[in-house]
Amino acid sequence: MSDRKSRLTITVDPDLSTYAERLVASGHAASVSAAFNEAMAEKAYRDRRRRGLWKAKTDQADPGRVARMMAHVDQQLAGE
Amino acid sequence: MSEVTAPPFVLDTSVVTAVARGDPDIIGLLQGYDARGQLLVIPALAIAGASLDARSEEADDLLGGLELLDNVTIAPLRGTEQAARLAEIIARTGLDPWDAHVAAIADVAIYPILTLDAAKWRQPSAELDEPLHIIEISDPDEREPEE
Repeated sequence: MSDRKSRLTITVDPDLSTYAERLVASGHAASVSAAFNEAMAEKAYRDRRRRGLWKAKTDQADPGRVARMMAHVDQQLAGE
Repeated sequence: MSEVTAPPFVLDTSVVTAVARGDPDIIGLLQGYDARGQLLVIPALAIAGASLDARSEEADDLLGGLELLDNVTIAPLRGTEQAARLAEIIARTGLDPWDAHVAAIADVAIYPILTLDAAKWRQPSAELDEPLHIIEISDPDEREPEE
């Protein structure tokens, strides 16, 4: 991954903008950009963890049982 | 990927709770539907009910994983009209708020409800102007023989 940052213009809720500015003022973030960058990095990490958890659970599923349940749903949809 | 012609499914609280509890077969089934392009609608209050049932970080991650699926829409409760309709359904059917939100969405959109327990929907469905279309998720091989 490149260390070079991309420039983008975003629109955010006023309270979040105020909070980011407060983080900078109190020394908890280097800049407003850094604060939003960190928040997005955290979301990316969380989403990856959630996808990983779903994959792990899906790998534990019994494919035969899942197929039977789906077929049973299809039968009910078809009104059988 | 096969073409899907089925209407969107609304997941009831029992299905969402199974996700929160980490049921691999239900999670595998929903993942399978998502992969084949089947639209799934999940009422926000059904998620609240499921989260209330399974209080853990893993449960919250599993519930959060639902909205990462490509074909899932989380249906919010928005505005006074929807809130009043929810209250009306609770009053008429005796459903808890979680499943009343499921009924409200399925009733308006005429979408089938996916549930693990069709029996619990029988009476509430009869109390509405139009019966709900209930589809039970079950494994026919595990069904107990009728006496």
